[in-house]
Amino acid sequence: MKQILLLEDLPEIRAWLKALALQVFPDAQISEASRIHDALELVNAVRFDVAMLDLGLPDGSGVEVVQALREKQPEAQSVVVTIHEDDDHLFPALQAGAFGYLLKEQTREQLSEQLQRISQGEPPLSPSIARRVIQYFTTQARQQHMREPDNVTPHVQLTDRENEVLLRVAKGFTLPEIGVQLNLSRHTIADYVKQIYRKLNVSSRAEAALEAQRLGLFRR
Amino acid sequence: MSYRGWQSWARRFRQEWSTAEEGGSDAAPDRTGGVSRRLFWMALFMGLLLAGSVGWGLLLLNREAVRLSHPATGNLVGEGVQTFRHAWVVLSDAERFPDGATGRMVALPDEWAINHPRHAGGIWYRFQLDGVAARDAAGESLRAIYIERACSNVEVHLNGQVLYRGGRMTDPYARHCYRSHVVALPSGLLKARGNVLDLKVVGYPLEQVAARQRAGGLASVRIGALSDIRDLSDEQEFWTSTLAGVLGGILAVMGLFALGLAWIRRLDYLMYFGLLTTGWSLATARFWLTELPAPNATVEVMIAMMFAPLVGCAVQFILCYAGARAQPMISAVWMWRVRAWLWAQCALLPLTLLWLGFDRIFAGVSLWYPIFAVEICAGIGYFLWAAGKRRRPEFWLMSVIMGVVVAVLGIELSYQAGWIKLWGVHVTHFVMPVLYAAVAIRLMQVYAKALQAAQGAKAKLEQRVKEVTAEMERNFNQIAELRAEQVAEKERKRIASDLHDDLGAKLLTIVHTSNNDRISTLAREALEEMRLSVRGLTGRPMVLSDALADWRAEVVSRLRQAGIECEWRNPNDIIEEPLSSRTYVQTTRILREAVSNVIKHSGASHVIVSAEVHLDLHDFVLVIQDNGKGIELALDDRTDRGHGMTSMKHRAKQLSGQCLVESGPGFGTVIRLTLPLEVATMQHPGPTLARMVDHVRSQ
Repeated sequence: MKQILLLEDLPEIRAWLKALALQVFPDAQISEASRIHDALELVNAVRFDVAMLDLGLPDGSGVEVVQALREKQPEAQSVVVTIHEDDDHLFPALQAGAFGYLLKEQTREQLSEQLQRISQGEPPLSPSIARRVIQYFTTQARQQHMREPDNVTPHVQLTDRENEVLLRVAKGFTLPEIGVQLNLSRHTIADYVKQIYRKLNVSSRAEAALEAQRLGLFRR
Repeated sequence: MSYRGWQSWARRFRQEWSTAEEGGSDAAPDRTGGVSRRLFWMALFMGLLLAGSVGWGLLLLNREAVRLSHPATGNLVGEGVQTFRHAWVVLSDAERFPDGATGRMVALPDEWAINHPRHAGGIWYRFQLDGVAARDAAGESLRAIYIERACSNVEVHLNGQVLYRGGRMTDPYARHCYRSHVVALPSGLLKARGNVLDLKVVGYPLEQVAARQRAGGLASVRIGALSDIRDLSDEQEFWTSTLAGVLGGILAVMGLFALGLAWIRRLDYLMYFGLLTTGWSLATARFWLTELPAPNATVEVMIAMMFAPLVGCAVQFILCYAGARAQPMISAVWMWRVRAWLWAQCALLPLTLLWLGFDRIFAGVSLWYPIFAVEICAGIGYFLWAAGKRRRPEFWLMSVIMGVVVAVLGIELSYQAGWIKLWGVHVTHFVMPVLYAAVAIRLMQVYAKALQAAQGAKAKLEQRVKEVTAEMERNFNQIAELRAEQVAEKERKRIASDLHDDLGAKLLTIVHTSNNDRISTLAREALEEMRLSVRGLTGRPMVLSDALADWRAEVVSRLRQAGIECEWRNPNDIIEEPLSSRTYVQTTRILREAVSNVIKHSGASHVIVSAEVHLDLHDFVLVIQDNGKGIELALDDRTDRGHGMTSMKHRAKQLSGQCLVESGPGFGTVIRLTLPLEVATMQHPGPTLARMVDHVRSQ
């Protein structure tokens, strides 16, 4: 039995999403929340397998819940369900540890298929998100280079294959196309994408920790 | 003046000097020090040599002048001018020549300090005019006698008649020590023979005066034609009196100018120089102040007193000009002591003279003058040392001037001590002012240069300030623009957020709660439209390659989901041309419409999308070609049955491009979209919400 967290402020949409979730995971136990505050309390109380989180909420951004889950329940899969399609909204959520995103206005069929795929470990990746990821890691590498070489912070790097996948996505190829081009199975490609998301999150957290250290938040 | 020459020479030398040092500096520092020190000593030695030779030359010149104006042989100087070499001398204060008194023959010039030590009062000199008078009686021209110097005053009698009196003949006597006298001999008084000329000279003994020039004595006496005598007198007058007077006046003006400048600019050395020159010009007043109501001793002490502050100013000027105050090479304590001593002298000198008594004024002064000379020499030495060490450009000029000063001091001291004889032309009186003038010109030059530099710096500063101001203005404008842009951006974001949260949420609710498929599809499309509009509102310009990538991803995945095979032909190069977010959004809409048409209406199984970029024509072309059944082309927009062709064309037109549709039943459809590559400068607000809603309704 799956434990699912559903964070959505609009009651109709919440009901509709609940129905969707029950369609994909028929035996799921669904905890509903309409505000960040409630969601965070639930995170402290219940172990979740999947979390469907809206971003724009009356008392803040769903990214906070993504972060809380990442810290307290690393095995939980956070999926951002949003009306925002632009990477300015999505990228921070992915950095915080979200594993995928769903766009709300899609048809029930499309959504259920995507949710299924995400829960099976096939996160989506759009060209603009791929570009942001490439840009992020390039900047990281440059900054790392500029800092003192004996820096102890772990330097997260993408492998050549991961970079290859990212570049192709950025050029507008779909994931199945890339699988054909690189002669890789759909499953392997999905693994690369998962790995990219994971590294993005790890690197972001390392960066945040480093930033905090630099600001003197951690005193030893 | 010659200092220009000196300077250019000095500059050349300095260059050699500095190149010598530069050459050595990278080779070996020890040797460099050695070389520069050797150079320094050489320069100092040469400077002293130069000064010495100039001083020696001056001495020779002076001696020559003395020899010329006082021929020891007593030759006729002019036509018919005769010099008396001897006189019958009687020491007496009588009003007439004491005929019966004892006397003796004395050679002229008669210096009382030697021939009549300690004599104060009057001395009668008697001359027989026999030979001359005989010729005179017959001659037409007026005869005259010329007394080069009679100190302090003289009275002339011819054949017992008073002819001339210089001024008061009683104590305190009129002071005529620096002047000559011309006395015309009236023809009526001249007898055929046995003419007797009597001169009564009154004066003070050397002991009672402060300078040998003012001790009693009678220099040569000459007789001749009045015109010749007048010439002689004029010449003497010019050198001793006029020149000194003119120079004194110039000095006074210069000194006052320097003082004013020093007061304004707070320059120590200029102040001391001004005091020195002004004081010197005041001191020259002693040459022509003849009748003073004060007793002789008082006047003499006053004159002697004037020299102490003058020396003080001179030494301080030299020290200040050498830069002792700014960068003391001797400690500040010593500087203070030197200054204190210099000012103490001003009080000590008169006290000494008063203590010694009026009969020993000369002795007291003889004690002090060498001290002054030593002080000035020490100052000069210090200056030359400092200037040489700092390689100042005026080193050579100043060493010459200082050398001359030392020489003049030497001459003056030797004269006062009685080692050398000087008659008539007195070198100090006109050499010193010339030196002052040279120094003053140098100072003015330095000042002018500093002023020029300051003005240049000021102009440069003004220029810089202008530049900085302009830059600041520019920056400010940029910041203001940026701020405005940021505010606009923030506002756009807020509007976008409101749209999403409000309109978006409501549309979404319609999408997911409506039981009517058509309504939910319309609402979904409206939501997509809204999102694109928001993107047009907030989006940044992007690169064409990225836009193509986004389009490709969307088109390919949508067609694939619909089960239609898609072939996308892309230019291989990365095209960095910018694309405004408006163009991006509108093109996305057109593409979306086209793909929707293919999926909904064409029944095609294969679609080819090819993108071409014509940088030379400055446009890009998207061609969407399907193998479906084609559509019946509407002759007018009204028959466009929801295919959205009209809105596609309309959008293309809005972007100054065009959208051509070629189709026919059984031939498939080709949509050719040509859009200009615009330079993305300003972000357009994009389509308004009202228009968007209109569009949603029209569908």
